[in-house]
Amino acid sequence: MKALTRKLLALSMAMLIIVQSSYGFCGFYVAKADTTIFNNKSEVILVRDGKHTVITMSNDFKGDVKDFAMVVPVPVVLKESDIKVVDRKVFEALDAYSAPRLVEYYDQNPCQPEYALDEIYAMPTSVNSNSMVMKSESIREKDFGVKIEARYKVGEYDILLLSAKESTGLKDWLLLSGYKIPTTADEVLAPYIKSNMKFFVVKVNAETIAKGKFEYLSPLQISFDHDKFMLPIRLGMANSTGSQDMIVYAFTRTGRVECTNYRTVKMPTDRHIPLFVKNEFGDFYKSLFQKTWKTENRNAVFLEYAWDVTPNWGMKCDPCVGPPPMQQEFADAGVWWANTGGQTFFTRMHVRYEKSKFPSDLTFQVTPNNENYQARYVLTNPASGEFECEEGQQYLLDLRDKRKLELDEYAALTGKISPKGQKYLSEYQGKILLAKKNEAPIFMKEFFKNNGPRKLLIALSAFMALIILFRFSRSKIETKIV
Amino acid sequence: MQQSNWLKWLSSDARHFQILSQFTFLIYGILFLGWDQDWLNYAAAFTGTVGIQTIFIKTGYAQNHSYKSAIITALGLCLLLKTNSPIIFFCAGAIAIAQKFAIRINGKHLWNPANFGIIIAIILSGNAWVSPGQWGNQAIFVLVSSVAAWNVLSRIGRIDTGIIFLLSLSIFEYFRTVVYLEWGHEVWLHKMTSGSILLFSFFMITDPMSTPLNKKARIVWTVSVAFVSFYLTNFFFINASVQWVLFALTPFTPLIDKLAKASQFNWQKSIQPLFNLKKQTNESTY
Repeated sequence: MKALTRKLLALSMAMLIIVQSSYGFCGFYVAKADTTIFNNKSEVILVRDGKHTVITMSNDFKGDVKDFAMVVPVPVVLKESDIKVVDRKVFEALDAYSAPRLVEYYDQNPCQPEYALDEIYAMPTSVNSNSMVMKSESIREKDFGVKIEARYKVGEYDILLLSAKESTGLKDWLLLSGYKIPTTADEVLAPYIKSNMKFFVVKVNAETIAKGKFEYLSPLQISFDHDKFMLPIRLGMANSTGSQDMIVYAFTRTGRVECTNYRTVKMPTDRHIPLFVKNEFGDFYKSLFQKTWKTENRNAVFLEYAWDVTPNWGMKCDPCVGPPPMQQEFADAGVWWANTGGQTFFTRMHVRYEKSKFPSDLTFQVTPNNENYQARYVLTNPASGEFECEEGQQYLLDLRDKRKLELDEYAALTGKISPKGQKYLSEYQGKILLAKKNEAPIFMKEFFKNNGPRKLLIALSAFMALIILFRFSRSKIETKIV
Repeated sequence: MQQSNWLKWLSSDARHFQILSQFTFLIYGILFLGWDQDWLNYAAAFTGTVGIQTIFIKTGYAQNHSYKSAIITALGLCLLLKTNSPIIFFCAGAIAIAQKFAIRINGKHLWNPANFGIIIAIILSGNAWVSPGQWGNQAIFVLVSSVAAWNVLSRIGRIDTGIIFLLSLSIFEYFRTVVYLEWGHEVWLHKMTSGSILLFSFFMITDPMSTPLNKKARIVWTVSVAFVSFYLTNFFFINASVQWVLFALTPFTPLIDKLAKASQFNWQKSIQPLFNLKKQTNESTY
């Protein structure tokens, strides 16, 4: 009998653990800040396994396709089989899955408990892009020290792989061949030529142009084996003075990808923000990113998401913004090992670069760091109903204090004070019947809850401990001398 | 000049300044650079180093003041090693200190303990790494680290090592980046102001216990560390190559010491007057 009770107890304990882990996060997913809120942005998928690298470049070029052209420095001459076009849906899927997210909790009415359901809001969209112009191509390469290493037709593109002896020749050749590159480009081209890089030059082929209006251009994917793990951003900055946004979706077998020549900084996460952000999350995240970017001296790479997405691995997000990447998406992204069950780690980085703050190309490394992370912001829906009981009144007082903190958090994160703040704070003022009482010393509570001061406190105590240790070792020495 | 007891004690051992500077860097990293390391990891590193050191002190292999070296090693690990597991931090600290006593040639330990701990942790655990980009390139950091380093190194007569390393690496990088590749100066400056390079040059390669004792020999050795790491970074694209090169070249120090004789280094004898930094003493006079 005793044994049976013990077994039952063990079973119920196990059940409890299972239930707890599957409800690890009990908020609901509300909205996401996907890449469409950022102007002047590009998206790249980076897959790295040992020396093997797959780079997929998104192409949100909108305009006359015959104006489209692209020059990318690559470390080796690519074979035809190393280049392909993929479905652009893969970018949408990865973006949707890894975007910073907004989640909401529901307070319970202490007078009469009940729950409400959540709603989903869409994000505003705005897309913009720049490009180079390309004309005909009948100039003798030899005269310019330029060599066409290979010429391929892939999807709707005509692709050339060039090697060059010197930058001025390459620049002149590109200009004469109709690529509208900035006149200062040769100072950036020279280092690439000297480091033995080749140039991957793309334009849309004549047949596609002849077909007339093209809705969109497919993303291009290249793969190669090389020790270098980098993204050349300098060429794109040659003619730009402003900043550009780039989202990097990186996949590895082991863990996070991080930048080795700039800091990789996490976006603030798990912050409680006011309820009104629900309808303006896109704008909120934009301001938040702008503020964080400025705080970090405008030269850091920001981590927005890091998660083990191995198929059949279990819970992949907490909560999920969209369905996890499927077989087709892994295949399109070039994560060839994922569909055979290999461990797959997904890192999303957001970098806003400009010439003065990002002098060097981005170099990366694969780390064994498989700690999960996501940029997540939390809303709290107040309880509904009447609050006439004593606990209800206390709840309203607490709610007002909580909202004060949410507004402070909002101001700290975005650097802005919302005009909706006053109304938000006094929303339940009319329902407070009793005189103010038992107001908790909220400052003290938050002092220990908030990250900064707590860290400072720990740092100070560690410092004191060190001083004591010093004293200790000193007195030991003195005793010895005596 | 009248000095308080406290100041007198502080300046009685160059390691006090080293601990203070390293501790400042750690606080800077956590509070201002937003490192996401667990306090448990730091505690583990300290437990590992100080614990093992205690064992050696209790068994009579080391003196009481060598606790300071253990603290320096622990801080070095906290500043440079990255891992999610406190166990790895503990083991790295313990192994780093243990090798100081286990591997000794001519009564001198071979590897810089933090360097040894980092490399062993990366090789053996497979779950540790170093983040060369974690310090960024902020000018204020460059200033603070060089002032702090000057303070520590001028006291132990090893400022030459740090400066020669940085200088030779800058020259190699300058010729490669600016003269040969034709990048602008800003690219070279960006490479050379990396906090990881500065910390390595001022706080790791300058370790008086694991560098050659003879001054000339030390210069040759330092330049070779700089050259090999420059070569590996630029032609083999190895990240944090300085750590690997220091680890690989350290076994040559006893050989160099044998060829170029100089007297033993002693932390507490090495100290130079606090307010008279210009007066550089040659350690061979000790």
